[in-house]
Amino acid sequence: MLIVEGLVKQYGDFTAVDDVSFEAGEGIIFGLLGPNGAGKSTAINCISGLLAPTTGRIAVSGHDIVKDGKAARRSLGVVPQEIALYEDLPAIDNLRYWGMAYGLRGKTLEDRVSDVLGHIGLADRAKDLPKEFSGGMKRRLNFGCGVVHKPKVLLLDEPTVGVDPQSRARLFDLVEAERDAGACVLYTTHYMEEAERLCDSLAIIDRGKIIAKGTVAELKSQLGARDALQLSGNFPVDATKSAIASLSSSITDLEILSQDEDTLMLTLSLASQHLPGIFDAISGAGGSVSETSLRSPNLETLFLLLTGKELRQ
Amino acid sequence: MFSFLLTSVRKDLARWRQDKTALLIWLGIPFLIGGLITSMIDGGDGTPTGTLLIADQDDSLLSGFVVGAYSQDQLGDLIVVEKVSVEEGEARINDGDASGFLTIPAGFQDAFLKETPVTLTLKTNPAQTILPGIIEDATEILLDLGFYAQRLLGPEIQQIQDSSSNGLTDDVFVSGISVDIQNKINKVGPKLSPPLLDVVIVEPPPAEPQPDIALLFLPGIILMAVLFSSNSLAADYWAEREKGTLRRLASAPGVLSGFVAGKAVAALAVIGFIAAITLVVGFVYHDVAWNKFVPSLLWVSFGGVGLFAWFAALQMMFPNNRAANLVTTILLFPLMMAGGSFFPLAALPEWIAGIGRLSPNGFIVDRLSGELGAASAWSIDARSWLTLLSITLSGLAISTWRLRSGFARK
Repeated sequence: MLIVEGLVKQYGDFTAVDDVSFEAGEGIIFGLLGPNGAGKSTAINCISGLLAPTTGRIAVSGHDIVKDGKAARRSLGVVPQEIALYEDLPAIDNLRYWGMAYGLRGKTLEDRVSDVLGHIGLADRAKDLPKEFSGGMKRRLNFGCGVVHKPKVLLLDEPTVGVDPQSRARLFDLVEAERDAGACVLYTTHYMEEAERLCDSLAIIDRGKIIAKGTVAELKSQLGARDALQLSGNFPVDATKSAIASLSSSITDLEILSQDEDTLMLTLSLASQHLPGIFDAISGAGGSVSETSLRSPNLETLFLLLTGKELRQ
Repeated sequence: MFSFLLTSVRKDLARWRQDKTALLIWLGIPFLIGGLITSMIDGGDGTPTGTLLIADQDDSLLSGFVVGAYSQDQLGDLIVVEKVSVEEGEARINDGDASGFLTIPAGFQDAFLKETPVTLTLKTNPAQTILPGIIEDATEILLDLGFYAQRLLGPEIQQIQDSSSNGLTDDVFVSGISVDIQNKINKVGPKLSPPLLDVVIVEPPPAEPQPDIALLFLPGIILMAVLFSSNSLAADYWAEREKGTLRRLASAPGVLSGFVAGKAVAALAVIGFIAAITLVVGFVYHDVAWNKFVPSLLWVSFGGVGLFAWFAALQMMFPNNRAANLVTTILLFPLMMAGGSFFPLAALPEWIAGIGRLSPNGFIVDRLSGELGAASAWSIDARSWLTLLSITLSGLAISTWRLRSGFARK
């Protein structure tokens, strides 16, 4: 339903998206997870036809977005990161307008608008102006405008930025309902929890490149059962590195994820059992530990393992 | 596309009608300026009038003649005479509330008939220049006239005074005194008014009908309202871009031309409304023939859409909303100046008017002036309509191109 092959987008010498490829089928939520500036929005702008790819191919429901853009766009629904509504037009008229922009007419349009209003929980506020709505209600209407024409491929560009937890949970329900109705959903986010909660499969993107791809379970399996151990304190760089390396003989899957003078990130199995040995080694290297944080394996840990930096940096 | 166009029109009209302040400004400024110009031109016949206060302490036949003399003929058009007491007259002339204050003392008539000296006191207002001078000259002429009248008709005046004070006036007396006065005038008249000059009155050629000056301002003032509104409405492209709706629309399949056309039709409705109001006021005030209303309305409304299309195209060339708004707002004033909104094209030197007619609003003003001043309605020729159509279509085409070439995607 959505095929992206070798997508490259360059601005002069800067490559914002570098050889990105993935496929997503019907009834799937495909996540594009990465930190801010990783290239997610650029990729989604290319897929929605707002930006012309430098090279590569994008097909939406079998239609090339460049060569057959009009047909491809008919199958697309876009929910932008910013709220893109006519705030001085009643909610129902916003839905009608965007429905007509995608070719809905007459009874089909009215039925669909009515359905969406109920779906997004704004049926009783249909004739009110969005400028009188709360942020969460605007987000839901923004979502409704993107799905009013029942798109086969739905692009959601960080739709929960700045949304309160209650509205976020409601948006998740809406996204899942679209997936359950058979849509292919491309969901970009930099929130690891959202990706884990929603996405059937995902790609992790950093600096324009996809660095990992698969289902959440597949990606987590790359970590094995290793925990992520974050230590804060004072860590002389070379001495600490040697001390940790000396522990590798007794802790087989111990690995340094990142290190500087103030922070040390390690990954290892059964971390809680090995804490005394690790503290002794650091102490022996002339360092000290002031704070310890132990995390179970998750996508954030994987991102750390792959890039050496945190997802939200 | 047509149904989306209609939806776009409804959408924009619904949004724009909420901005009633803008509508008031678009109409208010031209009405204010037009009202000031019209009141300056039509506010009077240009003849100054002054007030002469007269305190008549004599209250005699002769003093009554003096008071009446200031109200005669052309002098009466210039001077309004008010009879006052001495105290009131002194107070008002000191307050600058009159052009002059004349005091006729008690015993004026007796002194006049007995040829004894008498003093009339005239105080003038130093804050005024023209009218006090006229009053002074008129008073001196009256005194000269009085001197000759006394010499010629002194006995008759005395008889009239005596008869009115004794209550002896009857038809025989009146007819007798009238005959005596007429005889004296007949006798001395030829000597006083010898026909030294033979005056031949030449009728001037029939004057060309002069245009109504205030009417000359009307087209420019209407276009001022149209310029304000078309420029402001064109800014809606930037407003939509900043809302994100334009970007959202750009990812929809092939609706940008319908969107542009929808905005143009919505602008036509708003500008047509503004043009209709200003034209109705102008037609009523200047008593313009109503069969010229429809062609004038169509011309101004479609002209406004042309201006809207070009303002939109221009605004979309700038990198940000502030620059776009600033430049087009600054551009409005030279356009209004050259295009006849501040000075009618007909009142400008021909070479300046020629440049003004080349401006888009000047072109519209020029044809509208022609329509309003023409002998019959629908005087705007087909070539002008075609020119306007091509201006409008080219502006819309550039707007659509600019939307597609990146403006809508950012």
